[in-house]
Amino acid sequence: MRSIKTVYAFMIYVLLYLPIGVLILYSFNASKFSTEWKGFTLMWYEKLSSNDGLIEAALHSLNIALFSSLLATVIGTLGAVALYRYRFLGKRFLESMVYILIVSPEIVMGISLLMLFSAVQMPMGFWTLLIAHITLCVPFVIVTVASRLANFDQSVIEAAKDLGAEEFTLFYKIVLPMIAPSVIAGFLLSFTLSLDDVIISFFVTGPGYEILPLKIYSMVRVGVKPEINALCTIMFVLTIFVVLLSQFLLKEKK
Amino acid sequence: MRLSRFARFSIALLFFWIVLFAFLPQIMVLIASLFSKGATSFIVFEPTVSNYTRLFDPIYLQIFVDSLVLAGVTTLLCLLIAFPFAAILARSPKAWRALLLVLVIIPFWTSSLVRTYALIALLKTKGLINAALLSLGLIEAPLELMYTQSAVFIGMVYTLLPFMILPLYAALEKIDPRLIEAASDLGAGFWSRLTRITIPLSLSGIIAGCMLVFLPALGMFYIPDLLGGAKNLIIGSFIRNQFLTFRDWPFGAAASMLLTFMMLMLVALYAYRERKAGA
Amino acid sequence: MKSLIMAALLALGLHAANKELVVYNWSEYLPESVLEDFEKESGIKVRYSTYDSNEAMYAKIKTAGGESYDIVVPSTYFVNKMSREGLLAKIDKSKLKNYANLDPKLLGKPFDPKNDYSIPYLWGSTGMSYNAKALGEGAVSAWSDLWKKEYAGKLLLTDDLREVIGMALLSLGYSSNTTNPKEIEAAYTKLTTLIPNVKLFNSESPKGVYISEEVVVGMNFNGENYMANTEMPELRYVYPKEGVLVWVDSLVIPKGAKNIEAAHAFIDYLLRPEVAKTISEEIGYATPNMAAVKLLEPEVAANRIIYPTADDLTKSEFQLDVGEAITIYEKYWEKLKTGN
Repeated sequence: MRSIKTVYAFMIYVLLYLPIGVLILYSFNASKFSTEWKGFTLMWYEKLSSNDGLIEAALHSLNIALFSSLLATVIGTLGAVALYRYRFLGKRFLESMVYILIVSPEIVMGISLLMLFSAVQMPMGFWTLLIAHITLCVPFVIVTVASRLANFDQSVIEAAKDLGAEEFTLFYKIVLPMIAPSVIAGFLLSFTLSLDDVIISFFVTGPGYEILPLKIYSMVRVGVKPEINALCTIMFVLTIFVVLLSQFLLKEKK
Repeated sequence: MRLSRFARFSIALLFFWIVLFAFLPQIMVLIASLFSKGATSFIVFEPTVSNYTRLFDPIYLQIFVDSLVLAGVTTLLCLLIAFPFAAILARSPKAWRALLLVLVIIPFWTSSLVRTYALIALLKTKGLINAALLSLGLIEAPLELMYTQSAVFIGMVYTLLPFMILPLYAALEKIDPRLIEAASDLGAGFWSRLTRITIPLSLSGIIAGCMLVFLPALGMFYIPDLLGGAKNLIIGSFIRNQFLTFRDWPFGAAASMLLTFMMLMLVALYAYRERKAGA
Repeated sequence: MKSLIMAALLALGLHAANKELVVYNWSEYLPESVLEDFEKESGIKVRYSTYDSNEAMYAKIKTAGGESYDIVVPSTYFVNKMSREGLLAKIDKSKLKNYANLDPKLLGKPFDPKNDYSIPYLWGSTGMSYNAKALGEGAVSAWSDLWKKEYAGKLLLTDDLREVIGMALLSLGYSSNTTNPKEIEAAYTKLTTLIPNVKLFNSESPKGVYISEEVVVGMNFNGENYMANTEMPELRYVYPKEGVLVWVDSLVIPKGAKNIEAAHAFIDYLLRPEVAKTISEEIGYATPNMAAVKLLEPEVAANRIIYPTADDLTKSEFQLDVGEAITIYEKYWEKLKTGN
């Protein structure tokens, strides 16, 4: 039984990483336009190193993804706990709006936010992108955290309350540790959503702040360049490195 | 009961955000859906309900049904694949869990367009999967995978899988393993442990995962278009076309409102049954 | 961290607004080197922003009144639509020393008869491609050949309703810009019989699909065919007998541009023969700049795929705005795709 489980999990990981492997392979492919193998080259890395626009856009994307997912996680987690624990006027309304946000097509969200920002004359750029991405991510955090809160053992909270604990202390010392896995899951989902969003971002960003997914999607005219494969490979390798390093450091600490 | 300062802060924060950036825009969409399209401007202020009546055309019904089927099957496949996987992760050694979870999500930090092109390289007739199967002698002629419904499902499931795995993991991790051991000691078999303990206790996670896969799947169009050959219209591309190609914002807004309304009804129905079952 | 502070400053609008040119274009549709050289020579900083379709660009420009771009690159009929709606500023041709380099054949087109608002940047056509190895030389010569029974499941169409219905209209001898509902319906009826041949609709990257031999014949853009030839010499580009669809991407200056002087300087820079040559070579589409064509390698300038002869273009048509008739196109496109 144990080995079957390991094999299954391993297989899923292989499938998840298979396309990434392919793209890494093609970042060394001499073919400019297609997925046929035309020999090994480092040309795309060389070209990438001189393409400041792409590198800048990638950094912008990471910036936005990090900030928006952190803030969305804070708002979403507090929101989910509030919706679960307290009774207040407008609770139903908030719950419905969360579902509406998930279901409303991205283009509708993008255009309506654009109209909103234009109406208040807000310049398009970092801040508008940040707001839009937080709005996109908050419902995903709420739904993930709320699912963990369901069937939550209330007696622990009641006991702590009887002992005179403040609401914030309760949240920080008891609730948060119990829902931590879902908070992390919510953060990871948000980061992923933000890093890959094209349609909403298109409408709410301005000339001062180009982000990577937009740049990639607007290459359709001439085809997505192989430099993108090289860039994705570098970003992927860096991510893996950071993750493994932090795992190693955490182990050392223990 | 008077709410504490912390509680009021949490509520106010969410309230503020939702009203400003979700409710207000949604109201604008509703208003837009009740006006007409202009020749040189997106909206002219002539009230009409024709945007809604136009939606009740067999063509749009067909688009809607096709999209529901696509999203439904995708959700089901995601659930079947993700559930055992999330269960294994939730029972893995504690020190490894965070790492294993992060490893699930990392592939998705690469642009979805780039990943979709990589999928095409794998799936095409002269692609890597066919090459591998042919060289292993498992098939005699290459499988035709690209531009079929199967390719669409592969792409959709691949893209949305983490949105199922993560909520499932969060719910499954909370189940006390001693509960299952106890059941096992009492003679409960694999199936009855699964259906009577694991599934009921992780139901909230299952529902959350299904929602996070199903709802975005309804609006997705890039992946089905690229992998399936854009031979069918689905809601996502339909609404996008209304806003961009045909510049009929009121009609697009009406379609979006109707979609939102129907999904909300679905959620409400579920909540109602839940409460009835709970009472 | 530095980029964070920069970002915050930019967002607050504290950056130097003078001597900055905001260009709104397709991504990688202008070589980085051209931008750098222009910045070096003129001292004007270029800020480059991108879009992925004319429709999306139009929606954004029209809605975001406050945003200002100095140069935008719309295709064919979007020029006409945008100028009619007052979204474009007039271009002062007296400031363009290199204007005379442009090919008169690509000036004064119906979407901007006097070129008051637009200067051609790159141009191309939507015709047919076929795999000569699989089908034999000269397999197709007219749009109507796509209907041959033997191409069942082997055909690519672009994912653009105006192009696909326009192609069917041309094959019936009508104009691809018709607003006559009967003609559009006839085109639809004819297209329904083409569906069994269609393997996919794709406008993103037809060349990749042809190179991987998933399809052997279908619609294609000339630049895509030209680029595919470096890896697949047997892919032939055909100017169909009934007429090819031609498009031009033009440089325009939107109303409300903050830096009109710099915009003119930039357009004039792009019109220099050697710059236009670099752009055309890097991007793979044809330049409307005659002086630049003379500088090209003879085999490129003589390549009919990129630079068609006058004969190739005899019945060619530019895509024009069809106004309200677009809803008729839309209805039949939806019917075609849902199979009703």
